[in-house]
Amino acid sequence: MADWLDALNTTMAGPSFIDRVRNAAADDDVPIRDDFGPILAQDIAEETSLQQLIRHWMNERHAPDILPAQEHLLGRLLDHIRKQSDDVQLLCADPDSSEEEHFRIILVQTEVERVKFVIRSYIRTRIHKIEKYAQYISATPDMHERLSQGELEHAQRYARLLESHFMNSVLQSLPLSQRGLDDDEPLSPAMITQPDRQRAVFAHARQACPPVRLPDGSTMEMEKDQISLTPYSVIEQLLARGEVELV
Amino acid sequence: MNTNARQYGDLATQLITESRRSTSTDTLLKYNDVLVRSIIREQRQLETILEASLSKVPPNNIDPQKHPDILLYQTMISRNKRCLLAYHNHRLERLKDLFWTVGGALPLLLSTSSATPGGQPGVDVRSKLSPHEVDFLRSYSASLLTFRSGVLATEEVDLFAPISRPPKDLHVQVRVIRDCGVIQTEVGALDFKKGQRTLVRRGDVEHLIVQGYLEEV
Repeated sequence: MADWLDALNTTMAGPSFIDRVRNAAADDDVPIRDDFGPILAQDIAEETSLQQLIRHWMNERHAPDILPAQEHLLGRLLDHIRKQSDDVQLLCADPDSSEEEHFRIILVQTEVERVKFVIRSYIRTRIHKIEKYAQYISATPDMHERLSQGELEHAQRYARLLESHFMNSVLQSLPLSQRGLDDDEPLSPAMITQPDRQRAVFAHARQACPPVRLPDGSTMEMEKDQISLTPYSVIEQLLARGEVELV
Repeated sequence: MNTNARQYGDLATQLITESRRSTSTDTLLKYNDVLVRSIIREQRQLETILEASLSKVPPNNIDPQKHPDILLYQTMISRNKRCLLAYHNHRLERLKDLFWTVGGALPLLLSTSSATPGGQPGVDVRSKLSPHEVDFLRSYSASLLTFRSGVLATEEVDLFAPISRPPKDLHVQVRVIRDCGVIQTEVGALDFKKGQRTLVRRGDVEHLIVQGYLEEV
């Protein structure tokens, strides 16, 4: 196991999306660093809301399980977008604004659209997983706290919806003994889909991480900027603490 | 195939083959009500046989090695049931995909007009659905709308807009494919007439592109 892990340990070459974000039109009230140090190597304290969102978005898209909802972050960004849109409206309406300002306005508007795209994609990714695991979520109180109120309600509605669809289309016509939606048959896959926590993910260490235990009993310690391919369950805790990100 | 040579479980296999065909050709096939009904009939038949076999042995003391028939019937019953559910679930996933590709515009999806937009002329979705599936889509759409108004509590982010490519430009050149009347845009109200080409703000017309009224040039 250690061999293939070592082979995969390379220093980070920024994925194209990160590159593009870094080169995108800057938010006018986010301080721009002169040296444009690689985003991934930045200290956590310096992370802007957008960078946080992009990190959570990528984590969410790569993780087999549903991650905790980032409601505060989303709220902050949405407020920000609203404020910027208002400012843009004001500037557009002002006849005194110069050509250069109009150019800036276009950059800001484009950036706002792109941030909206990430927010949308983030929410849709979560909806997709929530629907996939709806029955599991309804039956497992542990999952509830990871979802926002609205997401939880949607999950429960969806689980009921699925159940009533199966009941109306198939099960009600079957004999009583065959109507269960949670049969525990040997040799057949479970009827309730659960997140596959053993799925392999690429984890990038954002800082030096405490050792984690691999399934074979050995331990692994990730250095800063190290990338490893591991089962999701191994780095689950590190991810929750923000020490690694999925790439 | 000679009906006499048919064995239990064949019908369920047909049903699964249909789902597989639907995936590989990326089309929504018509809901196979006849086949579903026949399998349900087969299930009742199997249940009767199973009960008959069970009544011959003392309850609470069933040794599968001495009564392989019971195990066999039980396995067939659960296989058929799983196939039925898999077929329905597969269809629901397809319907949800369709729902999202038209940007959550349910009336558009269910409209029986033969010229369904979205680049697939002549696709009539409604006639391929079972009544329960129509109900499902309605409730699904309602649930998502509730979710949207509750969670985002804002019109800033359109949940149903496409997420396949991030927007590169603020404006987009579009060609009008179907008349869609007067639309409020950044520069005032615009009347979109078939065949026109215009440069508009993407955010203003995104939903019309998704629904197939406009086409990006």
